[in-house]
Amino acid sequence: MKMRVKLYGTLSERFPGYQPTQGMEVEIPDGATAKELLALLEIPDSQGAVVIVKGRALKADDKMPHGVPVNILQAIGGG
Amino acid sequence: MKFIRVNMSEKTIRVEDVPQDYVGLGGRGLTSIMINAEVPPKCDPLGPQNKLIFAPGFLSGTPLPNTSRISIGAKSPLTGTIKESNTGGTVAAALGRLGITAVIIEGQAPEGDLSFLRIDEKGNASLIPAQEYKGMRTYPLVEKILESYGKRTSVLCIGPAGEYKLTAASIQSSDVDGHPCRAAGRGGLGAVMGAKGLKALIADQRGRSPDPLADPEAFKEATKAVTRIVKADHMNAEVMPKLGTAGLVAPVNSMGAFPSFNARKGVLDGWEKICGETMAEIIKERGGNPTHRGCDQCIIHCSNVFVDKEGKYVTSSLEYETIWAMGGMTGIADLDTIARLDNLCDDIGVDTMSTGVAMAVAMDAGYKEFGDAEAAIEMVKEIGMGTEFGRILGSGPAAVGRHFNHPRVPVVKGQSIAAYDPRAMLGHGVTFATSPMGADHTAGNVVGAYLQGMLDPLNPQGQVETSRFLQIAMAAFDTMGQCFMASVALLSPEGFEAFGKVIGAKLGTQLGPDDFPAAMGIRVLKAEREFNRKAGFTKQDDRLPRFFYEEPLPPHNTVFVISDEELDSTFDF
Repeated sequence: MKMRVKLYGTLSERFPGYQPTQGMEVEIPDGATAKELLALLEIPDSQGAVVIVKGRALKADDKMPHGVPVNILQAIGGG
Repeated sequence: MKFIRVNMSEKTIRVEDVPQDYVGLGGRGLTSIMINAEVPPKCDPLGPQNKLIFAPGFLSGTPLPNTSRISIGAKSPLTGTIKESNTGGTVAAALGRLGITAVIIEGQAPEGDLSFLRIDEKGNASLIPAQEYKGMRTYPLVEKILESYGKRTSVLCIGPAGEYKLTAASIQSSDVDGHPCRAAGRGGLGAVMGAKGLKALIADQRGRSPDPLADPEAFKEATKAVTRIVKADHMNAEVMPKLGTAGLVAPVNSMGAFPSFNARKGVLDGWEKICGETMAEIIKERGGNPTHRGCDQCIIHCSNVFVDKEGKYVTSSLEYETIWAMGGMTGIADLDTIARLDNLCDDIGVDTMSTGVAMAVAMDAGYKEFGDAEAAIEMVKEIGMGTEFGRILGSGPAAVGRHFNHPRVPVVKGQSIAAYDPRAMLGHGVTFATSPMGADHTAGNVVGAYLQGMLDPLNPQGQVETSRFLQIAMAAFDTMGQCFMASVALLSPEGFEAFGKVIGAKLGTQLGPDDFPAAMGIRVLKAEREFNRKAGFTKQDDRLPRFFYEEPLPPHNTVFVISDEELDSTFDF
């Protein structure tokens, strides 16, 4: 399935030509998990990436839902 | 290890050795324990019985990076509780290098009388008449002070708001570039400084008499270990230098917890125009600095220098909380306006958080429209001019709410909430309600746990425990003078142990696993709670405003669901 993904933090640095307003279109297998999406995008664990969909942070094994915008952010402590 | 006691009524200065009871303390632990011991809890915060205590952290002035944080404590005229407000820049490291453990301002000068307190490179303090600086804004003030005393000078000062004794008045701190862009913003301590007749504390940076380290070799080793952990944290290595704390705009909006339009919605339309990623791009395009070092001995560089379209300086150290208060709460999704408002507040010496929320309450009450950038700028200018409305606005959101008889005022113990809505991030609600400081953004900030997936922000389970854990840990780190960013990287058994070794190497004792942060943090919180109890606060004050329990926040459409009993169990120690 196709999904529209927006990258935040410093994550877009790994994708030259990334446009913040459009994000990027990503194709993943149906039933893929959040962890698999990050692996597909080659975002390592050390980046502290978190997949957020419909206002909620997904757990690693949560399945990616269809047809909703996806934000990938980096974990930050507050301030 | 000296205390410098300054009596503003008599204009006398007394230097004392640090009493045995206070050895090992600095920062917030020192200010809170001393305020609890020396200030009558029911006194008038703007009167002569209150004390204003400036205390660098226990580790400020040592070689440990990220320790130039100073705590300023008093009874707050905004909340009526005990208050500690901390700020960075260069002054904590300067005082640490002078071997000064605390500067205690007592009594009160006659109305209208204004002084500087100057501390030279030998650590000698003197009071200097400063009448000619009356009404001066902080930027021109610091410029003049640096001309008089040289560039290697640190300044803490008030602007007109502090001289007017407004309860949202801040104490501004000069950064590495000499800009008074950093603030001890919360709790109206600028008003206390103004009430005492002190316009600025001026400290020489060339001190060479820091407290000796009991074991310098062990200190060096322990510092390496802590620094390794701080640098390995991707937040401090990547996100903070490149985006600053503004990097929080995207995650908090993505999670529907960004209080917008006076906390009517959890997502701001157009937040992508004011997020950290966009801000970094704009700054880079215009020739500003998105990766700026604002504080002495910092290895993270979370600050920034924001410039206008012509590349001219607008403000520095533009932070998440300011972007939220001035942009989210007011509905102004425009960084140029927000940056201008930040600079105006720094110059006038008023808290950006309280001021943004106060404007949002005024807008919610119909005084001005949400999103009206010009109106916001004019309102903040009024604070500087001391107009009737300006004085109300500069007294914070509760004062504005009373003035307009408006029921939706997001404060706890009189202090505004911070940039996380309690209805979508329950743990923040716990911290806002229970912190002895009033609603607070650093005392127990749970957002890291949510983003790391350790805790579900909408599920009541675990929120009280997490807030408790963080409140204890932060009270301990605030005592040491280490900045929030570095401290957050150390919130693990490994981090606590490594940090405990640094403290032990200075003290000459070995800390046990329960000493830091637990015993230290609990000691500080107990002193603060005891003061508040004696000042007349009860558990009924550890609650959120009504509307957080009743008005669902879109997009999650949830309310705050932690029970009173659960809130009251936060300090079960």
